[in-house]
Amino acid sequence: MDPLVATAIHDAKNALLALDIQLAEAERRPAETDFRTARGTVARIAGQLSELLTLYRAGNGQLRLAIDDHDLNDFLDDLLAELGPLPAGIALDVDREAATRLGAWAFDAYLVKLALLDALRNCLRHARQRVTLALSAPPEGGIRFAVGDDGPGFPADLLAGGEPLQSAQGTGLGLSFVRLIAERHATPAGRRGRVELANDGGAVLRLTLP
Amino acid sequence: MDLRDKSGLLIDDMPEMRSSMRLQLASAGLEKCDQARNVKEAIDRLSATRYDLIVCDYNLGQGTDGQQFLELVRRKQLLPLTSAFLMVTGETGYEQVSTAAEYAPDDYLLKPFTSELLGTRLGRILDKKAALTPIYKHMGAKGDRTLALAACDELLARGGRYALETLRLKGELLAGLGRDAEALALYENVLQQRATPWAEVGKARALAALGSEEDARQHLRRALDAYPNYLAAYDSLAQLVEKTDKQAAQQIVEQALKVAPSTQRQRRLGGLAFENKDFARAETAFRRAVEKDRTGFFKGHDDYVGLAKSCAEQGKTMEALAAVKDMGTSFASTPGLKARQAALECQVHVKSGNEAAAKAALERALTVQKSSGLDPQAALDVAQACFASGRQDDARQIIQSVAEDHHENVAVLAQAQAVFAQAGLEDEGTVFLEATRKRMIKLNNDAVALAKAGELDQAIAMLTEAADRLTNNAQIALNTALALLMRVHRNGMDARELARARGYIGQARQANPEHPRLAELAAFYQKIAPAGAPPLEEN
Repeated sequence: MDPLVATAIHDAKNALLALDIQLAEAERRPAETDFRTARGTVARIAGQLSELLTLYRAGNGQLRLAIDDHDLNDFLDDLLAELGPLPAGIALDVDREAATRLGAWAFDAYLVKLALLDALRNCLRHARQRVTLALSAPPEGGIRFAVGDDGPGFPADLLAGGEPLQSAQGTGLGLSFVRLIAERHATPAGRRGRVELANDGGAVLRLTLP
Repeated sequence: MDLRDKSGLLIDDMPEMRSSMRLQLASAGLEKCDQARNVKEAIDRLSATRYDLIVCDYNLGQGTDGQQFLELVRRKQLLPLTSAFLMVTGETGYEQVSTAAEYAPDDYLLKPFTSELLGTRLGRILDKKAALTPIYKHMGAKGDRTLALAACDELLARGGRYALETLRLKGELLAGLGRDAEALALYENVLQQRATPWAEVGKARALAALGSEEDARQHLRRALDAYPNYLAAYDSLAQLVEKTDKQAAQQIVEQALKVAPSTQRQRRLGGLAFENKDFARAETAFRRAVEKDRTGFFKGHDDYVGLAKSCAEQGKTMEALAAVKDMGTSFASTPGLKARQAALECQVHVKSGNEAAAKAALERALTVQKSSGLDPQAALDVAQACFASGRQDDARQIIQSVAEDHHENVAVLAQAQAVFAQAGLEDEGTVFLEATRKRMIKLNNDAVALAKAGELDQAIAMLTEAADRLTNNAQIALNTALALLMRVHRNGMDARELARARGYIGQARQANPEHPRLAELAAFYQKIAPAGAPPLEEN
């Protein structure tokens, strides 16, 4: 079995056990925060399983992208609604001005949203105070989403190109997924999407779509 | 966007889903909402009521889906462009819905979802509809594309968030008006800013329309490399390739069917496979088309004709006759249907060598053909049965009257040519049809020349004889109306003559509501007609 599958099962199992504890807490003394945490956990497991399913289908040659124009502000609205409430003490900066300036772009909103949600959840887990979601138009064409935090940054071996299969942060699946999604976005002129990782005051993941 | 004053129609075949969706719609603010359980109920509702919003589940049971339903109601103009359509789907349906281009829903929503998200999405698509309504209102059957274009330009000048959508509509309008060079420039301009599939396909279509078919084909192939699920690219490519290589066209339609199933593409595949003499493949494609759709709204006579012929070609006489019989029970009985059934039965019997049965069936077909005005396809089927039975002169006579009646209709002329080809008379068909077409053009030209030379009475005599015989020929009807109006203009007001002209404009509109000269004649009528004269009928 692909080691990614084992990592994903491991993550999902741990998340389900955590969910069980959160629900038990909520049962004992119902509080809004418990339910919110529980729903966040559910969303994370569901997101990871969707990613895994997508990777499986890509492996079987069944993955189909649905490329269409999307208004970037609408897309950000949907993304943030799905992300849910932020953890206490952490702020999320979203570059709305760039979204308005860029208007619309053609991409698979469902898959790109899954990838960005995963990246955002990772950042929220590692951030000290601040997570950013920036948008820009790189000079070579396309659009770029940059998701960053002010945490400790990516491990050096990951930046050097290592594969984080057994990572406590669960980035293994997320990274494979976002790379797949980037690679599958292409233009007739032959340009493809790509993913870059960097440490720039924290971890930054840049997803460029052609 | 306040949904309280909006009216909606919810379509879902599962009762539990309907009631839970109904609650979600109500809590999103949409309280006025009718429901339909299946395609038939939905079509009945749409025929009677105009809704602001349709919420439709992708999976509709009975072998149909929401995407096919949407294509059907948009094509039949049962759902105006100003009404919004939201498709609700699971993950699999999402891929199929999202690959649609020509008749795409305004948005799709993946199950499960919260009422809040539903409300946000509904508000969004209604806002978009409202912003684009100045364009849409000129885009229907009775619309005026030039006015729609002006509305596009006005919206583009104002800028704003729907600019890209407006450009997309403008491209379609320019192409529809035959202003292909402008359409090409628009698409190229869009593509300089961004890569997006609709502009790629639009560009290829404009290139093809401007005569650069090889460029268009290459462009579409590259587009499919990047967007392998973009159905419009397959459809356009198959259409272009079909002209020179029907085998390759068949392969392209096969690929498109893997992306998304549709009765229309099964039919196209069946037709191509039949022409390629791949009768087994043709049979399965047509069988899928007739069997999968259990509502009867998506299949047509042609599917049964294709099935019966593919079976007959393989010597499967029983299956072929069963298809002819099923055709009779699947549709309302009309002279056209009866003629096609009898003509088809004749051809099946000819194939199996049963001369007596073939002769009896042909007699039945000819009786119907002579006693009723058949649609062109039914008449051509009877002609084909005549060829198959060795009655060449009867066949030619039928084809001639069809071709004269539809001399401007490229599709009908191609079908007529196919009948000659089936009979092994391809070359004769080309000459025969070209001669017929030229004769009709000459008739029109001679009449117009006479009219211009002031010989209006002679022109009118010539044209009315033809227009009364060839009631489906829009051009002749329009020229007749023109000559009559010219005579009124010259000789002074004559209510009877004016009424005749009005009648011929109506006849032309009936024959071809899209005829490019209709607007010009309507304007001339308005100019000549005195105040208080009856207006032209819109339909």
